[in-house]
Amino acid sequence: MTDRTENLVLVLPGLLLLALAFFVPIARMLVLSVEGEAGLTLTHFERFLSDPFYLSVLWRTVRLSLIITLICAAIGFPMAYIMAHVGPRLRLWLIVLVILPLMTSVVIRTFGWMVLLGRSGLIPEILRDLGLAERNFAIMRTEAAIVIGMVQVLLPFMTLSILGVITRIDRRLEEAARTMGCSFLGTLRTVVLPLAMPGIVAGSLLVFTLSASSFVTPNLLGGSRIQVLAASIYRSVTQTLDWPFAAAQAVILFAGVLLILIPYAQLTRRADG
Amino acid sequence: MVRAVPAWLRVGAWVFVALTALFLLAPLVVVVGVSVSESQFIAFPPDGLSLRWYREVLQSDRYLASAWISLRVALAVTVTACLIGGAAAIAIHRRTLPFSEAMATFFLSPLVLPTIIYAIGMLMLWSALFGPVSILTLWLGHTAITLPFVVRTTLAVLSESDPFLEEAAKTMGANRLQRLWLVVLPQCLPGLLAGGFFAFNISFDEAVLSLFLRRPDMTTLPVQIYGQLEFSPDPSVAAVSSIMIALTVFLIIVIDRMLGIQKFASN
Repeated sequence: MTDRTENLVLVLPGLLLLALAFFVPIARMLVLSVEGEAGLTLTHFERFLSDPFYLSVLWRTVRLSLIITLICAAIGFPMAYIMAHVGPRLRLWLIVLVILPLMTSVVIRTFGWMVLLGRSGLIPEILRDLGLAERNFAIMRTEAAIVIGMVQVLLPFMTLSILGVITRIDRRLEEAARTMGCSFLGTLRTVVLPLAMPGIVAGSLLVFTLSASSFVTPNLLGGSRIQVLAASIYRSVTQTLDWPFAAAQAVILFAGVLLILIPYAQLTRRADG
Repeated sequence: MVRAVPAWLRVGAWVFVALTALFLLAPLVVVVGVSVSESQFIAFPPDGLSLRWYREVLQSDRYLASAWISLRVALAVTVTACLIGGAAAIAIHRRTLPFSEAMATFFLSPLVLPTIIYAIGMLMLWSALFGPVSILTLWLGHTAITLPFVVRTTLAVLSESDPFLEEAAKTMGANRLQRLWLVVLPQCLPGLLAGGFFAFNISFDEAVLSLFLRRPDMTTLPVQIYGQLEFSPDPSVAAVSSIMIALTVFLIIVIDRMLGIQKFASN
């Protein structure tokens, strides 16, 4: 047995598993989306793209994902910067703070938001007591609820992705800028922010993808009337049982995700190398 | 002269961290709070203090059956993901095979591809080939999506290990199996353990794949909770959720004590 054979034996089960149980299913989904009763057809796509309802679902998905991504970046960058600059003990606690929600099931986190945002929940109550909201004010079943819940679900991805880049920035660059008379905020803007950009962009692409493809949180916080693309796919699969149409919607999501993932792959490769 | 960081900015940073912490932890705290409530209804802050909902959960056939399925799947997934992913990482790390780089990307691809796209494909393929889904479908699916975590952590650990150790063992006359078992395996053990814990956690908490690949008589815990939330949640859902949160806290402590969580957090 040569080294090559040994390594081939080691890697083969994984290659086979991923090929047969991961990529073949995705290929099957792609095929089903264009399969008609008589050969290939694009009717499922036509149906999606010509129906104003589905176009509004698509537009809402893109719009909400963009808002969620922007908020995550706005919170994630300062958070990652602070995490990289505090002492090791505090950093450990902050990392646990980010990882604990990340490792908790999305269903559970969404449940927490349902309690907080619900009709008699803590947040509407506080807003009402402060006189900031009217008596019949509700956050549940609005787009705002989806955004709040999704930002909490996805913020850890953004923070960790930026943290990975910020910790590798040479501290002496910041010190040099400061000794040359640049203010703290000026240094942050002209030195740290540009150097952290690969992490911010990579984190944003990841968060956007995850946001556009999630349905658990939007379903539970937005209700059935505010649908996003992934929720519509889930409904087509489990309720209307229209699998070819579900596949077509998944292909549209897939195409969008691929458009985003190509720059993501290039960015992360450059950041690693 | 270096100008000092203004005091308002320092204070602002602390306020910002505190608010972010509150935002990140609030849903978890609320769930635990609801679970110890005495009331029949979901309320936060809780009314009174009791463990009745925990008792309810431990006596509920529905929750126990789901927990048993989740546990079995998660354990099986952990074992297979570690075996298959660990072996693949070792082979990729040695770089004697052509396309090692491409293979690494291939193994990490389930990380970036949205689970819902995979879930719908898996459901369609399985139904076409084998009919109704089973626990085996869930096992295969979860193994595929957790494999990248094991490969990544193992590769990270191996890239810091001494490459000459295996060569030394070879010169000293160790055969292939001995080298793998006595030299390479101990070298990648921290990565395998971390990957294994992540695999268990993801499989146990995962909802998307489990929602697509379910049968009325085969629901994992997250699917059970999701179903309750859609219809009529009572505080027992909060009690189950709190038990799952406790399990996550336990896993994080174990990973940190054994390996240091920082190492795997930022790569």
